[in-house]
Amino acid sequence: MRFDLDMAARAIPELLGGLAVTLELSVLVIALSLIWGVVLVVGRLSHLLPLRLACAGYLQLVRNTPVLVQMYFFYFGFAMAGLRLSGFEAGLLAMVLQNGGYMSEIYRAGIENVGARQREAGLALGMRPFEAFRIVIFPQAVRLVLPPMTNQFVAIVKDTALVSTLSAADMMFRARLLIDRTAAAYEVFADLTAMYLVLTATIALLMRAAERRLGR
Amino acid sequence: MPNVLIASLPYLLRGAIVTLELSAVCALLASAIGIIAALAQSYGGLVARGIALIYLYLMRGTPMLVMVFAAYYLLPYVGINVEPMTGGVLVVSLYYGAFMSEVFRAALASVPRGQWDAGRALGMHGRWLMGIVIVPQALRLAGPPFINTCIMLVKGTSLVSVIGLVELTLSGREVVERTLAPFQVFGGVALIYFVICYSLSLCGKALEARLPHAH
Amino acid sequence: MPTDPTRPIITIDHLSKRFGSLAVLRDVSLAVMPGEVVAVIGPSGSGKTTLLRCINLLEPFDAGEVRLDDAPIGYVVAPNGRRRRQPEREIAKARAAIGMAFQSFNLFPHMTVLRNVMVAPMRIKRVSRDAAHETAVRLLDRVGLSDKVDAYPRQLSGGQQQRVAIARALAMEPKVMLFDEVTSALDPELVGEVLAVLRQLAEAGMTMVIVTHEMQFARDVADRIVFMAEGSIVEQGPPQQIFNDPQSERLKAFLRRYREAYLL
Repeated sequence: MRFDLDMAARAIPELLGGLAVTLELSVLVIALSLIWGVVLVVGRLSHLLPLRLACAGYLQLVRNTPVLVQMYFFYFGFAMAGLRLSGFEAGLLAMVLQNGGYMSEIYRAGIENVGARQREAGLALGMRPFEAFRIVIFPQAVRLVLPPMTNQFVAIVKDTALVSTLSAADMMFRARLLIDRTAAAYEVFADLTAMYLVLTATIALLMRAAERRLGR
Repeated sequence: MPNVLIASLPYLLRGAIVTLELSAVCALLASAIGIIAALAQSYGGLVARGIALIYLYLMRGTPMLVMVFAAYYLLPYVGINVEPMTGGVLVVSLYYGAFMSEVFRAALASVPRGQWDAGRALGMHGRWLMGIVIVPQALRLAGPPFINTCIMLVKGTSLVSVIGLVELTLSGREVVERTLAPFQVFGGVALIYFVICYSLSLCGKALEARLPHAH
Repeated sequence: MPTDPTRPIITIDHLSKRFGSLAVLRDVSLAVMPGEVVAVIGPSGSGKTTLLRCINLLEPFDAGEVRLDDAPIGYVVAPNGRRRRQPEREIAKARAAIGMAFQSFNLFPHMTVLRNVMVAPMRIKRVSRDAAHETAVRLLDRVGLSDKVDAYPRQLSGGQQQRVAIARALAMEPKVMLFDEVTSALDPELVGEVLAVLRQLAEAGMTMVIVTHEMQFARDVADRIVFMAEGSIVEQGPPQQIFNDPQSERLKAFLRRYREAYLL
């Protein structure tokens, strides 16, 4: 299997054409699941039992089913029901629903690990519950959640490749198109892998910098 | 309403069996790879550690879907039979081997320092120390995260559907194509995955409860 | 190799250890005779635990020598003067002849009490299962825990766990026993049962080096008290001298603070 360096070089711009979609999807999923995760964790930790149970049930549902199946569910399901979602949109929906769940668990773990005792210390000093959260718990929890969150962001970027199976024109999709046209599978996959590695390494570096900035 | 689902259930369940078979084989292989990689990473010489780290970096940074397609397109050139099952076993085991390695590495590191002291103070070293004192404790510590990784692995097998392995997800797509009832069918598929994965997680919780947690 | 009663069992010769820029042990020398009970006291950070852990090479050290029955352990000095760490196998052999009990007991949680005591003699000294069993039962009886042989460590109190730990160390028939603050992690009412075991051992003639905060105990049981501060031995001598007639200012200050704390 000879490696055609020239072909590899020519493949890069083609693949980069899909980078915008990959990035756009990644950023949207990250942003929306961070928010959705907050909603879920509030429900998960609420005083109302039905709400707690509903959120816990939701979490079990999303973590025990593959995200690909969720994507197919929305893509084909809505199409049949008359609402034609694009591969991108169906993927976005499924990934936000799933990763929002994972984010909420990360938040919950962070909060619980900071611990009830810290909260008590705050209350004993005369803070109101929300103040105690904002001043005592939140800053400490943020430091704790950064590592698992980094892993989750990396996982999100990798999962975006799945939308290529629904014809969304991301890097993976472009790669397959290119291979079908040129049969240069070796070179294209080498490039594609390298590009994903660069993306994931960049995220890891950015998050490491964020950790340092927060003075861990 | 769920008539379609009920009618196609036998077909879906056959796909589920393929999923389970694939998962079981890959879980075993991934564990083996994981143990080797963890030992190489923590106790290996420069070369072993280097290989392990490169392997881990590649697996953690590359989407498994890319690997699945790569296996499909590239393996024929290397002369490997391009049956979806073979490609699937190869890719899924390699990919989750990296996660398993992290599970075992973390477990080894979680064995309290005092256990090393006690073993050494009694005159143990090397394979004795590892085999009698450290590894048994590490395996117990690894239980719950191991099960979680297995659950991830089961979900991951759904990706092998894209290269034609008729496991649960592809079975679902085939049925949908025939019956045009995507919500029902994929709902059913999700339900079957749920049953498999949730059962595994219950095993995990039972394991966690049974395990004597030291100190 | 039988121990010569006129030569020290443990010789520490000009031992030094740095931790980064911090000198943890400064040129420490100490000889422990067979059958002697040496208690090491001193404020936190004085290096007493580090010294103990250097004896059986659980901690490395930078200069000096530790000898067990006149044979150096841990490091060998080559003819060209370079100092090299002995292979792990050699160090393990020396450790097998030195018993140690830890502040945090460190029992093996995945084994019963009986197996905890049996496993080392069986695997390392290749003692037969029956012989190891017999020794284990005898030792557990001696520390007062025959009724707990099939229990797991997590089912025992701190004092019981520590007694098992001592029995486990004794099962290897060591020439000398090291005790690293073995009662510091115990609830006060459990301290007595462990000290009783140490007392018994001392009376039976075991060579012991005991790092402790229990001054009363040290005074009663030790043949010699070693007072350490800031990584050096400041003063040593029989309990009479150390407690009733301290010579150094450092020791006087230490004892004064100790008495204040306890008279309150």
